[in-house]
Amino acid sequence: MTDTIEWLETIGKNANLRHAPAEELAHTLEEAGASEALKAAVKFEDSSRLSTELGNKPMKVDHNPHTGGHEEEGPDHDDGQDAPSQPPKPTPSEPSPGK
Amino acid sequence: MNTTSLSPQDNPRRGSLACVGLGMTLGSHLTPLARSHIEQADVVFAALSDGIVELWLKRMHPDVRSLQPYYAEGKSRMKTYREWVELMMTEVRAGKRVCGVFYGHPGIFAWSPRNAIETARAEGFDAHMEPGISAEDCLYADVGIDPGRFGCQHFEASQLLFYERRIDNTGYLVLWQVGLVGDWSLTRFRTGPACRQLLVDVLSQDYPLDHEVIIYRGATLPIEQPRIRRIALRDLPEAVLTPEETVVLPPASPLKPNLAMRAQLEELDKAGAIV
Repeated sequence: MTDTIEWLETIGKNANLRHAPAEELAHTLEEAGASEALKAAVKFEDSSRLSTELGNKPMKVDHNPHTGGHEEEGPDHDDGQDAPSQPPKPTPSEPSPGK
Repeated sequence: MNTTSLSPQDNPRRGSLACVGLGMTLGSHLTPLARSHIEQADVVFAALSDGIVELWLKRMHPDVRSLQPYYAEGKSRMKTYREWVELMMTEVRAGKRVCGVFYGHPGIFAWSPRNAIETARAEGFDAHMEPGISAEDCLYADVGIDPGRFGCQHFEASQLLFYERRIDNTGYLVLWQVGLVGDWSLTRFRTGPACRQLLVDVLSQDYPLDHEVIIYRGATLPIEQPRIRRIALRDLPEAVLTPEETVVLPPASPLKPNLAMRAQLEELDKAGAIV
């Protein structure tokens, strides 16, 4: 039996399912015997309902130091010295990464 | 076909590092090559945007180690990112094939993959970055922006406060990590309306306060839709903004023809010197 993670992967790579109206996708999942949490998440367009089955792990999404692209010369935050300080001076040779 | 030449098994084991992008949406964006890096690694480190996506990754490899626990409130993210590099490098130095998996593109707004690769190469290890579909890629598709039409500037939002940057309001302006704008301590995961008001003060030098601002968040799970909100620039400070949301300002002025350069090009054309 397909579990919820497998269903999500299937939906993610199937053009019909990925772009199906919520009602239609919910019907497909109902017929296929998907979990209650997944069916509710689709039906109510609320992915937080998956947490009842898969848990809720809060995730930090920042992978960048926010020092204006000059992180190597940024304030020394190591060894507990994490108090706010002035931003580093610009060094033109180090452009900021873009997104 | 003789496949022995494709196998690295005959070579003495040496550590290596591949930093790959998982893309933004579960199931939709992972490239076959990135997946192969994950599956062929000895150990996988993960810095992802969603716990469910992390569960999905764990289906691909038996030893996936989340990098999330290294974050902490009040702890400098710079320290966290350095720890990530060291975690990956420790395994590389131990002779392991290491794969670092990052949401989106591992080379965009991500300090650790770039620095881990530089470190690995400096120590003589093979290191490689494999691109992924980024939030920027999704933004172009979902919001309907072609950066080639009017041009497009991208800034980490805090740069506009920390530095004097020149904004070209005849093109699109994309601001990343506005939810954290103004934080130079690196210890916070969110900043408030007062910081965003400073950002609006800077932007108001180039845009009217009633200028449209688009707040965008791509889909992480394939049962989600992209979230696109449109507000006036003046309302940005009080808007509820999550760390993963991106702010787009459409052009505020028409492109201004460069008459002098056009005349020079015309002269070159007449002289047959264009090519």
